[in-house]
Amino acid sequence: MTAAVSSPSTADWRGRCQRWLGEVFDQPASVRGAAVLRIVLGPSVIWHLRPFLVDALNGITYHDRFQQPWWPWYPNAPDGLYVALLWIGVAAALLMTVGLWSRTATWAAFAVVAYNLFLSQTHFHHNRAFLVILLAGVALCDNGRVLSLDALRRPPSVDLGLVWPLWLLRFEAAVVYFASGFSKLIDPDWVGGRVLHDRAVRYQNEVRDALGDTLADPVLEVVTAQAFHWVLSPAAVATELFIAFGLWFRRTRLAAVWVAVAFHVGIEVSAHVQVFSVIAIGALALWAVPSTRDRTLVTPCRWVRWLDWLARFDITVAPGASWSMVDRDGTMLEGKAARQFVRTRLPATFLFSRFWRYR
Amino acid sequence: MVVTQLALVANGYRDPHNYFAFQPFNESSTYAVELERVLPDGQRVPVPNGHWEGYDWDELIGWGPLRSPWRQRHAFSGVDAVVDFLDHALDWLADNTPGDTDTRYWEATVTYYRNARGPHATVVRSHDRELGGP
Repeated sequence: MTAAVSSPSTADWRGRCQRWLGEVFDQPASVRGAAVLRIVLGPSVIWHLRPFLVDALNGITYHDRFQQPWWPWYPNAPDGLYVALLWIGVAAALLMTVGLWSRTATWAAFAVVAYNLFLSQTHFHHNRAFLVILLAGVALCDNGRVLSLDALRRPPSVDLGLVWPLWLLRFEAAVVYFASGFSKLIDPDWVGGRVLHDRAVRYQNEVRDALGDTLADPVLEVVTAQAFHWVLSPAAVATELFIAFGLWFRRTRLAAVWVAVAFHVGIEVSAHVQVFSVIAIGALALWAVPSTRDRTLVTPCRWVRWLDWLARFDITVAPGASWSMVDRDGTMLEGKAARQFVRTRLPATFLFSRFWRYR
Repeated sequence: MVVTQLALVANGYRDPHNYFAFQPFNESSTYAVELERVLPDGQRVPVPNGHWEGYDWDELIGWGPLRSPWRQRHAFSGVDAVVDFLDHALDWLADNTPGDTDTRYWEATVTYYRNARGPHATVVRSHDRELGGP
């Protein structure tokens, strides 16, 4: 007779897996990250629908121009209904932003944006695909429990909900960086600098128009040099891959978020990517640990409460008191150290903080 | 959903449009198109600046990546994606220009530089149109 005995490491691994699965699928956690993203997605949906609405106001819809259907069976809305759907999308986006009937509004915005995307392959852009995915994920979360008029009207006792959609969204966000970075990594023209160099050479007139001759000359001397792109291109690929993996680990997460924000600002300045930069930066809120007010903070400054959008702190404002903070693990910080730590955890000040000292 | 997304990412290495595969800025390629109408007798009629028989290419196609393709243009999502779209655009044109009673089919000669290498050329054409009798 033989007995199946698990080694301690196997049992430990299995236990950790079960705990993780429990956390993902069973245990409720804070949906605040999804609520922050909802607020970002609302105006983004309007921005995304704007060109379609401008055309519609000029009497033009997709029926009037070249279109390439995805599937022959996909229903085509007549002009009037199509335009009405666009306006329904705008209304839903406004409701999302203020958080009124949050979840229904998010589903409605998702339905309109997705329907429009799948009307014609000419409507496809990567940023629109990402927008559809984010809308679906946020709609799956009970995103109206905080930062919403819904929460003001019927205050929930806690901001907890099931967070498996949050994990799904994290996966999707990481895939966007990974797929982009990996495809460039295995493309010799890309990683070798040829693609970016050619673009820089081709669009140098736009740089000259934007900066004027005096400023443009030294800038162009650098950015049109091939050697510059031998460095920039692999660095860009490494950046995307670092973000894709760095977001998953606690020790690298803050650095990955910081790099991601800088990366998206850089893309926005140098290219037209529609809503991509905004929604990708908004999606970074999903990487905040889904627990709230689990650090205690005593501060003399009222502004901390206004900037703590992700509810990282249980805040007591005491005029005249010195800064004092107790972290999740019981670590206590006082004075300047506490103040600096707080700055690393507030979305508005994080970019300018010394986050690497407080991982 | 996870499996579907991974499958779409993998499919991006096969699909010229890499839908949902998230491969932005994949090429710096450029292209230009020489557009011709081919009449029933085989005569080829160039379409200067996209104007013919009261029609306007830019107005009909109305989609940024294929706008004014007779000029050198950036190939949005890569040359293969643009050529595929152009092929479909010619078919769409053939089906949606009832006032043009002369053209049997459309032909486009695409001259392109893939990541600054080239020129290369390829030809796409629309399906044959059924023209009304005399």
